[in-house]
Amino acid sequence: MLKFRLYYDKDAEQDWLQKMCLEGWALKQFFLGFYTFVPCEPGEYNYQIDILDNWHGDKTDYATFMEEAGVEVVGQWWRWVFLRKKAADGPFEMYTDAQSKIAQYRKIKRFFTVFLVIETICFLMELMAAMETGEVVIGALTVLLGIITLALLRIVWKCQWKIEQLRREEI
Amino acid sequence: MRGLDNTPLTEALFYILLAVRTPNHGYGIIQDINEMTGGRVALGPGTLYGAINSMLTKGWIRLYSEDKESRKKKEYLLTSRGMEVFQNEVQRLQELICNAQKMEQSNLMDVDGR
Repeated sequence: MLKFRLYYDKDAEQDWLQKMCLEGWALKQFFLGFYTFVPCEPGEYNYQIDILDNWHGDKTDYATFMEEAGVEVVGQWWRWVFLRKKAADGPFEMYTDAQSKIAQYRKIKRFFTVFLVIETICFLMELMAAMETGEVVIGALTVLLGIITLALLRIVWKCQWKIEQLRREEI
Repeated sequence: MRGLDNTPLTEALFYILLAVRTPNHGYGIIQDINEMTGGRVALGPGTLYGAINSMLTKGWIRLYSEDKESRKKKEYLLTSRGMEVFQNEVQRLQELICNAQKMEQSNLMDVDGR
């Protein structure tokens, strides 16, 4: 089964993969928003998504480390890695203390902040063009860029919120 | 990970340092910590991976061996720098326990005095 989804929120994506698995569909492959699922025993696996520090350097090192720790690397796309473990082997959580969770959300935040800055610049340029020309097409594009910018702003803000929550937990 | 060496170690870092006093590999570290704490501390592989890389950078642990042929199993070992950090932490914890015991004793005296 092939499904197309666009996620930018790792936690929501993780929950969705978990839900699919409970319904008997195990993620097999991921490419550009296309998720390939194969039938599995309902709830056979626990899924986690991880973000690497950079997108080429530590790939093999990371993968062998995870395989050795009994974690299956299902797929990788850019810095995103899809991981799973058999539910029978016990609970599966990639990050188990506040400190490493904070580090993880910082990574995601930094990643999306870069795009937020780029998108904001594009949006402002488009907005100026729309005001100057008054063309509908450019206006529509401006709205679209505005929506993307807001979505990025939301995820950056959400990461910050999670970091602050975890910091409070730490104390 | 914390930048300064003299801040309290997190539970994860403390136990990883304990687990690599003899050469140990990733999964072995997770298992050993699980055993030492009776299953209370179940270290996530992501947490461990990050901690190992950070401690390698700081020189608290070093790569002991790398099995290049079969599965590239890497083993890590405590360094003298790591040992020093660990001992400082143990000293700090001992002070905590010692002071906590003093409080317990004075509480007992209060009760007896009444």
